[in-house]
Amino acid sequence: MSEPVLSARDVVIKFRLRGQTLTAIRGASLDLYEGESVAIVGESGSGKSVFTKSWIGMLDANGWVDSGSILFEGKDLARYKTEEEWLTIRGKKIAMVFQDPMTALNPLRTVGMQIQETLELHQGLRGGEAKRRTIEILAQVGISEPEMRYRQYPHEFSGGMRQRVVIAIAIACNPRILICDEPTTSLDVTIQAQILELIRRLQKELKVTLVYITHDLGVVANVADRVAVMYAGEIIEYGTVEEIFYDARHPYTWALLSSLPQLGIKGQPLYSIRGTPPNLFNEIHGDAFAPRNPQALKIDFVKRPPFFQVSPTHYAKTWLLDPRAPKVEPPEIVKAMRARYERYAV
Amino acid sequence: MLKYSLKRLLHSLVTLFIILTLVFLLMRLLPVEGYYGERADKLTPAQKEAILRKMGLLDPWYVQLRNFYLQLFRGDLGVSVTYRANVPIKEILAAKIPYSFAFGVAALVLSLVVGLAMGIHMAQTKGLFWDKLWTTYVVFVNAVPGAVYLLFIQLYGTSVTRLPMLFDRYNVLSWILPLISMSLGGIAGNAMWLRRFMVDELNKDYIRLARAKGMSSRAIMVKHVLRNAFVPLAQYLPASVLFTISGSIYVESLYSIPGMGGLLVTAISRQDNPLVQALVLIYSSLGIFGLFLGDILMAILDPRIRLERQGGAR
Repeated sequence: MSEPVLSARDVVIKFRLRGQTLTAIRGASLDLYEGESVAIVGESGSGKSVFTKSWIGMLDANGWVDSGSILFEGKDLARYKTEEEWLTIRGKKIAMVFQDPMTALNPLRTVGMQIQETLELHQGLRGGEAKRRTIEILAQVGISEPEMRYRQYPHEFSGGMRQRVVIAIAIACNPRILICDEPTTSLDVTIQAQILELIRRLQKELKVTLVYITHDLGVVANVADRVAVMYAGEIIEYGTVEEIFYDARHPYTWALLSSLPQLGIKGQPLYSIRGTPPNLFNEIHGDAFAPRNPQALKIDFVKRPPFFQVSPTHYAKTWLLDPRAPKVEPPEIVKAMRARYERYAV
Repeated sequence: MLKYSLKRLLHSLVTLFIILTLVFLLMRLLPVEGYYGERADKLTPAQKEAILRKMGLLDPWYVQLRNFYLQLFRGDLGVSVTYRANVPIKEILAAKIPYSFAFGVAALVLSLVVGLAMGIHMAQTKGLFWDKLWTTYVVFVNAVPGAVYLLFIQLYGTSVTRLPMLFDRYNVLSWILPLISMSLGGIAGNAMWLRRFMVDELNKDYIRLARAKGMSSRAIMVKHVLRNAFVPLAQYLPASVLFTISGSIYVESLYSIPGMGGLLVTAISRQDNPLVQALVLIYSSLGIFGLFLGDILMAILDPRIRLERQGGAR
């Protein structure tokens, strides 16, 4: 594979909270390649947002990158400290779309001005030229009558339209990386599909590298080329969409897949993962998922597993892949998914 | 926008009418003895009746009310009865308003400039030393009665700095202490509210988006936070501008400033009905007009109100 656009290595992010130190990200690593689309999945609190926010220096004031490196265009973003440094990246090279479009726009400024602001900031466009480009971008994100919409305020837009505007702001400067942090979670299902389609189309048109954060595996299959699964502040498995959906190796990924509602299977109670994610204030020994894993091995409680290679594109952090490990079968639901896949796809 | 303004204006006029009528009727409930002044013991019943008749107080209340409004519409505020007998009220007020107004405007400018700067500084240093220091000041001014610290300002202000104790309109130095005294409360109020509104805005999602866009903190402060925080504050600005005319009762009497403050108290205690009525008219129209202007200003600044179909719904 070619050189990665961004390469995050063993990133550790800590927060100071009420006098205690919390380790939110415990050595997460991820490579992003030009023009690909990567989904980061995991439950709430697994660190999906925090990890990506550290790439544009938008951690909350009480958080910091403790160690590790984030290489981007030959620079280590983990060492960036001042606002001036971050302003060369934020919005210009790496842009971000947040979850709730209803509150993401300034209610007192016109939609046009809020997009134009970005253009003026990063591309030095002024006046009429900036306005023309803004209207172009509005049209590009699928807003009809862009000239009229340019002058309107956010409250005159619906939720889906506002998310289009937020996306317009993000792509205004042709960033190399576009991070979408659960952009459709607060929208209703039909609008979700439209926004997803818009993001996919823009990604192809602009050849931008897309990072899509979600806890909805159904969305993942729609939008991503590759999937990274996060748990308790580390990436525990990554691979292509097919590899994760049909050949997952980590018990946590199995559990996640098992909790997907299965169409066409009636009468089965929905699977849910027992227990809660670990308390990140404490130091975690071994595999963070072990306490919730009924089939955990002894070593899972003692030693942290390294990444084992499954295929050139598929890695997982679990002792089950160690040659000495006993053979543990994935849950029935996962096996059934794999069987169905093999029957139809091949 | 026009419909909204007209509707608001109509509301204001109705409110003003209700206040004036109520005060007028309440004044009629006062015991009549007050109208005779110091001569009360020496007057015969016939003389007393003549005085009441001359003041129109023997007519039925609705006739009195009608006469009052007729006079008001002609722009006539009437004459003072007991405060300065038979002097037109316009004349009394005309001599006093300029002082109160000059002090009021100066104090307002001072409290806006210093108060808003302080509020911005507090919001920027939220939770840190400067924020806490200014908060201490705000709490002090709000918690300690003005009568206490204003007295100390006059006492130590004049003894330590040798500034004049009493107001003298030809001596600029004599303006300093009363001006500071009048501004302290306004500075505290402006600073506190602006800080609060700015902190509110800073926690909103659109600030996060503005940061993600790559705007500098300074640009975000000026273009987004300050402007948005100013909207709720703007609503009260016209009212405070207009109230400056009414003057500060306590500070004016401390420094013997011949302003309008305190006149209302005197007029009520001496039962000078026309003067009370005139002052109530001035105070309440200033207040109501101020709130009206505040609403209009707010509607200009906030597009969500401007486009509301049911203009006066709030």
